[in-house]
Amino acid sequence: MTTETADVVIVGVGAVGGIIAAELGKAGMKVIGLERGPRLTTQDFSSLDELRYFQRQELRPNSKRQPVTWRPNAQTDAKPLPILNYGNQAGGGTVHYGTLSWRFHEDDFRARSHTVERYGASVIPADSSLTDWPLTYADLEPFYDRAEYELGVSGKAGNLQGRKTDAGNPFEAPRRREYPLPALLPDQSGVIFAGAAQKLGYHPFSSPRAILSQPYHGRASCTYCGFCQSFGCHMGAKSSILVTKLPEADATGNFKLLTGTMCYRVNSDNSGRVTGVSYYGADGSDNTIEADLVILATFIYDNTRLLLLSKTAKFPNGLANSNGQLGKHLMAHIGARVFVAFDDRYVNIYMGPSAQKHSLDDFNADNFDHGGLKFIRGAQISVSPADLEAGPIGAAISMNPPPGIPRWGAAYRDFLAKYFARYAAFIAQTENLPYADQTVDLDPHVRDQYGLPAPRLTYDWRRPNEVARIDFLVNKLQELGRASGAQHVWRSPTGSGMPGAHHEGGTRMGGDPKTSVVNRYGQSWDIPNLFIIGSSTFPTMSGFNPTLTIQALAYMSADAIVNRYKKNPGALV
Amino acid sequence: MSKHDSSRRSFLVRAAVGAGAVAGSGLVPDAYTQTVAQHKDSAAAPGQSHPSSIQHDAFFNYEQATTIAAFTERLMPGAPGKPGARDTGVPNYIDLALAGAYADLQDFYRRGLAQLDAYCRTNHKAPFSLLEPARQDEVIAALEQGKAAGFSWPTAQEFFSVVRTHTMEGMFADPLYGGNREFAGWRLVGFPGAQGNFTPADLQNKQMFARAPMTGLQAQATQAKGSGRS
Repeated sequence: MTTETADVVIVGVGAVGGIIAAELGKAGMKVIGLERGPRLTTQDFSSLDELRYFQRQELRPNSKRQPVTWRPNAQTDAKPLPILNYGNQAGGGTVHYGTLSWRFHEDDFRARSHTVERYGASVIPADSSLTDWPLTYADLEPFYDRAEYELGVSGKAGNLQGRKTDAGNPFEAPRRREYPLPALLPDQSGVIFAGAAQKLGYHPFSSPRAILSQPYHGRASCTYCGFCQSFGCHMGAKSSILVTKLPEADATGNFKLLTGTMCYRVNSDNSGRVTGVSYYGADGSDNTIEADLVILATFIYDNTRLLLLSKTAKFPNGLANSNGQLGKHLMAHIGARVFVAFDDRYVNIYMGPSAQKHSLDDFNADNFDHGGLKFIRGAQISVSPADLEAGPIGAAISMNPPPGIPRWGAAYRDFLAKYFARYAAFIAQTENLPYADQTVDLDPHVRDQYGLPAPRLTYDWRRPNEVARIDFLVNKLQELGRASGAQHVWRSPTGSGMPGAHHEGGTRMGGDPKTSVVNRYGQSWDIPNLFIIGSSTFPTMSGFNPTLTIQALAYMSADAIVNRYKKNPGALV
Repeated sequence: MSKHDSSRRSFLVRAAVGAGAVAGSGLVPDAYTQTVAQHKDSAAAPGQSHPSSIQHDAFFNYEQATTIAAFTERLMPGAPGKPGARDTGVPNYIDLALAGAYADLQDFYRRGLAQLDAYCRTNHKAPFSLLEPARQDEVIAALEQGKAAGFSWPTAQEFFSVVRTHTMEGMFADPLYGGNREFAGWRLVGFPGAQGNFTPADLQNKQMFARAPMTGLQAQATQAKGSGRS
């Protein structure tokens, strides 16, 4: 058992933790980072092994040792999710992620106001907790810019300082300058997708990704191997926190990373402040860190779980939960899919970065008129392999064959033999609305390897607004499929109400301490020396992948801590 | 069986089914009839899966190995020029996996195979491996559709789903793991293996990509050694 002291302790050293560690370390603050998994290196990723990384999920939490349970509603028993879509090592999910690096739209930050202004309040489902963010796109723009340039993102601007460029994404919010790196080259699935989209009058573009299209900051560029989503990059060309911010944090001399550690409690005293954390070491030891500032930067489940587990007589409902908002408004993306397959050409979709390769933004956010439709908000549409990863195991597991072909037997074998190298998936990633009764709490029955209650999700996306959106998008995807010239176009079943990828919510940020857990900087309204940063603070989710916004928020929080909080510890808002 | 056991087991099953598993569209009668007809043309006679000499497996006993070999061959049948489960070493892959990475599924397989055996003896008066291919396909379809009576844990559908998943892994995982023999699975579907690099010209290719040699993990390791990478 050890007790250490530091200025700052960060729990979880992933997309957020790495940025905070580097920025605070550079400002002279002594930082300790607790990380549940190991710290790997680019050399560890030399195996281009689909079984190991995609199918057996080596870079994600083990769902048996770290169960997360799910139930569709409060009347049902929760069961462990089979797959956990987040990271389990230093660098977190940025090690294995697909690297999609979007800036949210201006109206994503004011989804409620924008909807009311354009359509009236009556179109918002009565039970939805749709709201505005406590900050605008313009507030976050400088930090988006920093994240893109410091990490290394490849893309093409569509809107430079309000001027449309006739390239990139014409629906994007204005950016101060071009991307630091040119867009990644399209593979044939991107060419096919772009052709279909243009035929229908849409605006396709190479998706912005945190992958180097050219050498940058001493790192090598992408070799288009395709072992990307689910894999660590064997070239170090993926701009993960592992190869960007962690070396920077190390260089400050002020950062200490403790791997193989499991934080189980945030400690607090009767003054109403937190005093540090307690954690289990890799050897099973029970240890304490005393710190002036505690920053929770884990994936959304553990941010909420830790606060609930840390309840005291002074904080009987858990930390940062005096208003009962902790754990509410859980959101997740749902993917609608349509497959296309060609008899007259190959696609070879296993080439190039695998996830959401080429996109169109015409049906995202409020980029199209929802008048007369039975839903609000939209989806990002893109082309990908069946499960964002391009190997044959992924195709065999995740691609349902077209109607008329069974899932096994000679006809299935012949289907896979003919079409594995001739198919693509068109995917819509939906912005589902927040609802207060979609929650994260503690499972009363299931415990993890440390004996802690598992996080329990109560969630079902199949609500009228969301179902109507999926129906609309599947039709759009099928139109795109037919426009692609593919001889075979078929859809994937939409499945159960289980949450999909990119979970958000639980420690909602807001402008009002009565209805939110943290302020715009991730600072707890109740406890000013406790910060919670990550997608758990998102009030709404957007149809875009969250990581770049998570990282921009981390830069914004780090800036506020270094330039304001450090001099005058207290409420920043 | 307690409630706890039941949920733990279904959890193990779903964990084993793997990433992104989607609900299948199920069998469509026309295609199914066609499939069965093809099976009759191409399949080996029943019983030929028995190894000619005594074979030592890492996990399975002789009866279990025989059943798994027959079952996986119906899921991915071999035909001239089209390697199937047996040709690619799928049974060997599953056997090695159950002795190692999937050791927590040993009981799942033991019980699943015992229930399958009981079902076949009750309904068809013979163990699975001795049934005609068309009859084997009927049994598998009954499992897939949850219509096979007498299964408790694993359920018929769970057992089908896991064996199907593991069959696909054995067909398409790197040969290092004991299946995909001589890259036969990758060659079947036109996957070029662990290629570390595609050029701009490759990205523009609308034809089948066939760069030789096919590369697996062993070759990668050899290359890395040769080039001084560690």
